[in-house]
Amino acid sequence: MFNFSPPPSRLAPIIKSLRHDLVDTVYQAGFGHIGGSLSSLDLIATTYLSNIFNFQKDHFILSAGHLCLSHYVVLAYLNKFPKRLLKTYASFESPLQGHESTQVPGVEYSSGSLGQGLSFACGLALGSKDRHTLCLTTDGEHNEGQIWEAVMFANKYHQGNLINLVDCNNVQLGGTTQEIMPLDELASKYLRFGWTVTTVDGHDPLAIEKALIKAKESTIYPACIIAKTISGKGISFMENDPNYHDVKNLSEDQYLQACYEIDNW
Amino acid sequence: MLKIYPKTNIFKPAMKSTTGELSSIRQAFGDTIFQLGSKNPNLYVVSIGLRSSLCLDKFANKFKSRFIEAGIAENNAAGIAAGLAKAGKKVILASFACFSPAINWAVIKQSICYQKLPVIIIGSHTGLMSTDLGATHQMLEDVALMQTMPGMQVYAPLDATETKLITESLVNQPHPAYLRLVRPQTELSYPPKLHFTAGHSQVLRRGTQATIIGYGPILNQALSLDKKYSIDVINCSSLKPFDSDTIIASVKKTKKLICLEDHQANGGFGQTVAAFLASHSLTFQFIHLAINDSFGTSAKDYQQLYSHYHLDQSALIKAIK
Repeated sequence: MFNFSPPPSRLAPIIKSLRHDLVDTVYQAGFGHIGGSLSSLDLIATTYLSNIFNFQKDHFILSAGHLCLSHYVVLAYLNKFPKRLLKTYASFESPLQGHESTQVPGVEYSSGSLGQGLSFACGLALGSKDRHTLCLTTDGEHNEGQIWEAVMFANKYHQGNLINLVDCNNVQLGGTTQEIMPLDELASKYLRFGWTVTTVDGHDPLAIEKALIKAKESTIYPACIIAKTISGKGISFMENDPNYHDVKNLSEDQYLQACYEIDNW
Repeated sequence: MLKIYPKTNIFKPAMKSTTGELSSIRQAFGDTIFQLGSKNPNLYVVSIGLRSSLCLDKFANKFKSRFIEAGIAENNAAGIAAGLAKAGKKVILASFACFSPAINWAVIKQSICYQKLPVIIIGSHTGLMSTDLGATHQMLEDVALMQTMPGMQVYAPLDATETKLITESLVNQPHPAYLRLVRPQTELSYPPKLHFTAGHSQVLRRGTQATIIGYGPILNQALSLDKKYSIDVINCSSLKPFDSDTIIASVKKTKKLICLEDHQANGGFGQTVAAFLASHSLTFQFIHLAINDSFGTSAKDYQQLYSHYHLDQSALIKAIK
């Protein structure tokens, strides 16, 4: 008998506990952009925890600032700030705002208005050519024209030290990306714009690691990693549902159900 | 068949001078950043497709790797400038004001200002002085847009001499800043030996009848008024921060504040100053000579426009009396 399933990533149990932290934070705060945070968590956690990049010198720019929850739980895990700070998320005088800012240790770019981070990352990569600059954008964010301005710019300046991770969860606030503004073949669009492109399962840390290594090796062309993800990943009643793009209050039943599903995933 | 026009038919903007020598503010800017670029290997220019109009050619040709052409894409260009500044570079973002900061205001707010990055934003071709280009290119709202942004400094030089001084000073300061420039050649009226200090204004003419404040070359109309008018004329090239002490001292004396600006009255400098003085319990008459909630229009000569919009010397004389 052959076993075709890959060995589980050493990161899987860590990410499972981060998924708990994320849901706990939203439940406690009674607010949070949970759908996209859950879809991008594996991507952000693997980027930070795989040791492929050294974020003492390399840069990570979260362009989609509303996904800050997944960034916060990873930064807390890395002891950039005490984990108890997560309990203050989005409350008065907390550095952990509803969209992230540079007040938070480990955050390099204050974001919230979509489409701006990739340009910032291009400028940062241009000014620090001996380092890698990674940027996380989303598929919905590609509605913004500024993204395409930056995509052209990175090609013009042969930004081999730039990597754009695109969290493609097919969902945005008002519905599916297909309904609102179809992206169709995003990979071929990036290819035609002169980028190196890899498409991966955005919930498979091993696949993400491989894609990151490949992107790091692309030293002439900017690299794009298109991560196929599921909005609300890991919690069945949230998955693929635009209504869970953001939540106000999770009921106790919903919270317990979510915890149960994460444990038994 | 292609018709060849004689060279004399090529249009050149009309320029009038009452005091003599004319000089280009944007050329002074281009020359200054070229000189600064030679001294400072950390100085970058991000261009938004208007290289020659901003007099950037000298810098671009000499410092190829530090001249970043982002194309006609204002939002991306502001982000590129911010990212370079984050990497420790001193960055100048240059375009017409009707595009930057008008189109990319939200990018400037989030990616430059909120990050506290010391990018210098150059908005050229401001005011009715853009004459023949017409309403879309006559930026009359830029001071309003920029002075409302937290932490953003705003400057508008009187002439080419002051442009050089302000540009040199901005390159050495750690805040985001906006520099408002104009298109035509204008009179040289800044006293040659005077320095520039951010937050300071200069009383360029003294009198007792009225205090006239303003910024940019439009203020020349007040400076060149007949000597029989006894007026304080204050050059407020540092719009934010502005020199409240100098203005208060003058208005206490004259009891009359006239603000002359080539900009909308709404959100303009005059409103800012008048509100400030009123909140300091000063009693004074306030006359705001600015564009009153309307768009500009084309003309061959900006004096035509100034008289149409009541920003000319006769409007000033009426206000003083």
